[in-house]
Amino acid sequence: MNRTSTRLLLMAAALVVLWGSVFTIAEAETGTVTLFGRPTRTTSDAGLHFKWPFESVLRFDRRLRIYDPGSSEFLTADKKNLVLGSAICWRIADPNRFLQTVGDASGAEMRLHDVVWATLAASLGRAELADLLSIEPGHAGIQKLADDVRVAASGETEQRFGVQLVDVQLKRVNFPDQNKDAVFARMRAERERIARQYRAEGEETAIKLRAGADRQRDELLAAAYRDAEKLKGDGDAQAARIYGEAYGKNPDFYKFLRTLESYKKILNDKTSIILSSDSELLKLLTQGKGDVIR
Amino acid sequence: MSSVRVADRLRSLLFRGRRPNWRVVAPGLVALYLGSGTFSVSTDQQAVVMRFGRVVESRVPAGVHWAWPAPIGQVFKLRVRETKRLAVGLNADWPTRSAQFLTGDRNILNIRLVVQYAINDPVAYLFRTADVTATIGTAAQAALVQAVSERHVDDLLTTEKVAVQQRIQTLAEASMARYDCGVSILGVVLDAIQAPDEVVEAFRLVASAREDSNRIVREAESYANGEVPVARGDAAKMGEEARGYNSQRVNEALGNAARFTAVANEYRKAPKETSTRLYLETMEEVLPKMEKTLVGVDGKAVDLQFIRIK
Repeated sequence: MNRTSTRLLLMAAALVVLWGSVFTIAEAETGTVTLFGRPTRTTSDAGLHFKWPFESVLRFDRRLRIYDPGSSEFLTADKKNLVLGSAICWRIADPNRFLQTVGDASGAEMRLHDVVWATLAASLGRAELADLLSIEPGHAGIQKLADDVRVAASGETEQRFGVQLVDVQLKRVNFPDQNKDAVFARMRAERERIARQYRAEGEETAIKLRAGADRQRDELLAAAYRDAEKLKGDGDAQAARIYGEAYGKNPDFYKFLRTLESYKKILNDKTSIILSSDSELLKLLTQGKGDVIR
Repeated sequence: MSSVRVADRLRSLLFRGRRPNWRVVAPGLVALYLGSGTFSVSTDQQAVVMRFGRVVESRVPAGVHWAWPAPIGQVFKLRVRETKRLAVGLNADWPTRSAQFLTGDRNILNIRLVVQYAINDPVAYLFRTADVTATIGTAAQAALVQAVSERHVDDLLTTEKVAVQQRIQTLAEASMARYDCGVSILGVVLDAIQAPDEVVEAFRLVASAREDSNRIVREAESYANGEVPVARGDAAKMGEEARGYNSQRVNEALGNAARFTAVANEYRKAPKETSTRLYLETMEEVLPKMEKTLVGVDGKAVDLQFIRIK
């Protein structure tokens, strides 16, 4: 071996040692340094770290994960079947315990499924359907149920598996397929009732509107008639007063003149008259003028 | 200079005999490596710069920047101004069952919700959750389940849509805050909300009943709107006629009275002559039209033959 090869060999060895002595921890990762399988230290500090070349590093992803275990059927306290689909949000809290008990993500998800399913079944067994579905303000609600499940299950998952149960979400709440025909029948009956109610309410409003209009019309016409007759009577009264005043001053002349007026109206070509020669008009004709001009 | 001569020059610069000329090649390689750390961020982006897996710059704005190249460094560019959309529920490639939601009055509705969101914290977006889309989808769907379960089916289909959207957004935002996934929800839209196929006909009947009801009411309104103004017109006409009659009567009376008084004044000056004249004038007017028989004082008819002979 010449000097150059020795130098190259030394440099290569140094590189291998250096490479074995540094490691990086990424954001959201936890690294556990192990010495022949036994954990010596754990760090969540992202960046460059040093270790002995003969130590090895296990990395755990601390990010939040969503696990969807699918839907299953549950029974409420009032014996109603419900299909619930949940989503389990979790992350690794204690890498060592996680590693020792469940190993990897799929192992953790299997355990989480069991724990959450059992807790959900128990919680739902204490709740009635009206606690979940209701238009009453202040009823417990679906999220309350999910929250109860999280609270009840999170202690167990954290202590046993080193898993933090961040959230349990109920993504699906439905009736089982075999019950849906009955549900749809009820919905249809309800719709028919509402349709009838709409029509009846429409009729009611329409009848009221028409009756109101008729009343208003009759009131208007009656009031107008009243005012009109009053006005006419007033006119008649004024006329009577005017006539009375004028005629009252000359009653005899009025009687005379009015009688003459009446003649003009009463007597026409269909009237036959028998005149006495003795009458005021014809006296002159039959008896000569002597008597007329006195 | 021909290209052959350039290549020759380059070769003589980089090689010394058959061995590379390290004094030139080594700094050149270093410069190339460092130069590859240059990156540009466009105006709609923000970048996160990492070194040895650790965030060193969390919000690099638009422009040209430098960071350590791989394997020491890493750069993530994110479109922070972009509004992203995510659909939850009813979807063409989903089985309908997964789009069914239960209302507070135990009806089943098919619903599709669209969530609009944007990145508000690039580091959290990149490193807090394993699957951001699934996280948002889960939070939004759970919020939808809750919001629908406390509402009447008719409210959901008609009037309360906006309030329900608001409620969904509030619930989903609360979940997102718990998960810290670096995303803000800009809005949720109840994109499709309808009765399942099995009962959709019954819902349509309600809609048509509501239409009928509205139509009946509108017809009654139009009747009322026709009837009352006509009555008002008739009433006004009655009033006008009465006023006309009134003034006619009064004016007639005034006229007649004035005429009478005038004649009466004349009469008072010469009562006998006036009355005779009036009497005779009337007779002249009245008698010619009539068939007349003259009777004497003793009851016999008067023979006026002599008048004709003349």
